[in-house]
Amino acid sequence: MIKVRNLFHSYSNDENYAVNDISFQVDKGEIFGFLGPSGAGKSTTQNILVGLLQLQKGEVQVAGYDVKEIKNKMFNKIGMSFEQSNVYNKMSGLENLEFYGKLFDVKTRDPMDLIRMVGLDGKEKVKAGEYSKGMKHRLTFARSMINYPEIWFLDEPTTGLDPAIASNIKDIIKEENDKGVTVFLTTHNMFIADELCDRVAFIVDGKIRLIDSPKQLKLKYGEKLVEVEYYRDGDLLKESYSTVVEEEKDKLIEVIRNNDIQTMHTKEATLEEIFIKVTGRGLV
Amino acid sequence: MIRKILLLFQRDLKVSVRNFITLYIIIVPVMFALMINVFSPGINDTTVEIVLLEGENPQQEEYFSQFAKVETLKTVTDVEERVLKRDNIVAVLPDGGDGYFILRQGNEPDYIIDYVRSLTAFDHYQIGIEDSTAEIVDYGRTIPPLKKIMVNVALIFTSIMGGMIIAINIVEEKVDNTISAIHLSPVSRLGFIAGKSLIGVFVPIVGSFILMFFTGFRDINYFHAFLMVVTTCLISLTVGFVEGVNNDDIMTAAGNMKLLFMPLFGSIAGVELLADKWQPLFYWIPFYWAYKGNDLVLTSSGTWLDVLKYSGIVFGISVLVFILLAPRIRKGLE
Repeated sequence: MIKVRNLFHSYSNDENYAVNDISFQVDKGEIFGFLGPSGAGKSTTQNILVGLLQLQKGEVQVAGYDVKEIKNKMFNKIGMSFEQSNVYNKMSGLENLEFYGKLFDVKTRDPMDLIRMVGLDGKEKVKAGEYSKGMKHRLTFARSMINYPEIWFLDEPTTGLDPAIASNIKDIIKEENDKGVTVFLTTHNMFIADELCDRVAFIVDGKIRLIDSPKQLKLKYGEKLVEVEYYRDGDLLKESYSTVVEEEKDKLIEVIRNNDIQTMHTKEATLEEIFIKVTGRGLV
Repeated sequence: MIRKILLLFQRDLKVSVRNFITLYIIIVPVMFALMINVFSPGINDTTVEIVLLEGENPQQEEYFSQFAKVETLKTVTDVEERVLKRDNIVAVLPDGGDGYFILRQGNEPDYIIDYVRSLTAFDHYQIGIEDSTAEIVDYGRTIPPLKKIMVNVALIFTSIMGGMIIAINIVEEKVDNTISAIHLSPVSRLGFIAGKSLIGVFVPIVGSFILMFFTGFRDINYFHAFLMVVTTCLISLTVGFVEGVNNDDIMTAAGNMKLLFMPLFGSIAGVELLADKWQPLFYWIPFYWAYKGNDLVLTSSGTWLDVLKYSGIVFGISVLVFILLAPRIRKGLE
């Protein structure tokens, strides 16, 4: 669904590249995470893919369309939820969706269904200017689904949302993906990427450092240990056991069987830890 | 494409009505029409006012009423106080015998006093309009020249207001950051510009027609008027777009649009006050040609060729300005 080859982009039209020779491919039905710290080139790449930025150098295909000669029809197939909510403040939530839906040439969703989906029912007739930041963000998210997009670009979809709503948004993303929608997720939130993505790309300083599935990355970079806290003779003990060495596996089973276990965690690496290990950079 | 242009226009119109500043701009032509009607004298209006003693000479009151605005008061003291007020009203009071005297403040124009003296004499000798042998020949003009100038200026002013609405709407799109969302819908950049422009043509057209209708210009060729109004809008549209994309504040954008008032008033002053040899100084200003074209339309003295000539010049200059400013507009909309 998305093919990118040797993509470069410079805001100053010189050799100072914000995106520097990146290549990747996103397959149909995949959730592809584009992860990196602020200023890494995530948004620049995404904006080139959707045509908001002019393609300077490289080859980009989105939904079968060459982005170099972008056709308006391409936008019938894609949807984008922006990090910064961008809705008409002087129009109500419902009016925003109705207006936007009419701009498409394809079948669109019922605006009220979308309103209900993101939990804005009851507020649909209130002007968006009176919405809270989180409500505007949800409206922007809902709008990105209005044309049943085949490729869905999501830029920090859960930023600024409370945990319950963020969870709801994640469920919607999963549901849409289950229906076959390809998702290009740009985020610096490794937890949401870990939870949702089939594959992730780490981008730093305009270059992709690696592309793999979160599961493979954890296997590759994580430690195969289980950390256990338990009481023995009134004392709280804390020990780590390997999950691959047979002798330690037996010890772990014995500890579990004979003691009062307080906590037990696998010591697999988080995506964030892997990112730091691979790139040598934090995510902020 | 046309459907989407109309959608953008509908949205702008709906939102403009909800915004106090744009709503005010939309109703400005109606306010202009009211003001022009109030402040410009009609063809049958008179500026001569006479105050008389109530019931003193009803026949005289009736006679004066045909030629002046007559007011009656109960006592001489009331009449004296009335004369002393700021306006140019004069009193005609009985002198105690058969005659009358004219009471004035002293600072009234001489022609008013002469006019009232003549009226008093004509009344005394019972001379009416039917006694006149003068034959009246006219050109059929029923609109005073001052009113025509005011309407002409208001028409061009209204076109600038259209540009102002565009600037405000684009600033709103920028502040709400919605341009990027529109760019991710199947609406072309050209379609977006056309959709955004439509309100800047619609408001001046409707406003201008209301203005002309309510100020009494009802027998003109409205197709001529339409052509002049539409072409006059073009320069304001272009400047409206440039101000919209280069400003993040509604008041600044609207304020900068006021810069257009300078060439507007300059060209009117040029046409009305300066000799022919100075006219070429104003040829570069589209409003100069718009004013001349509107003048022909309002006096119904222009042929299709004349109107096409003036609207063509306005169109040509506007296109040149657009070509110069298009890169700034395109860049600003990215």
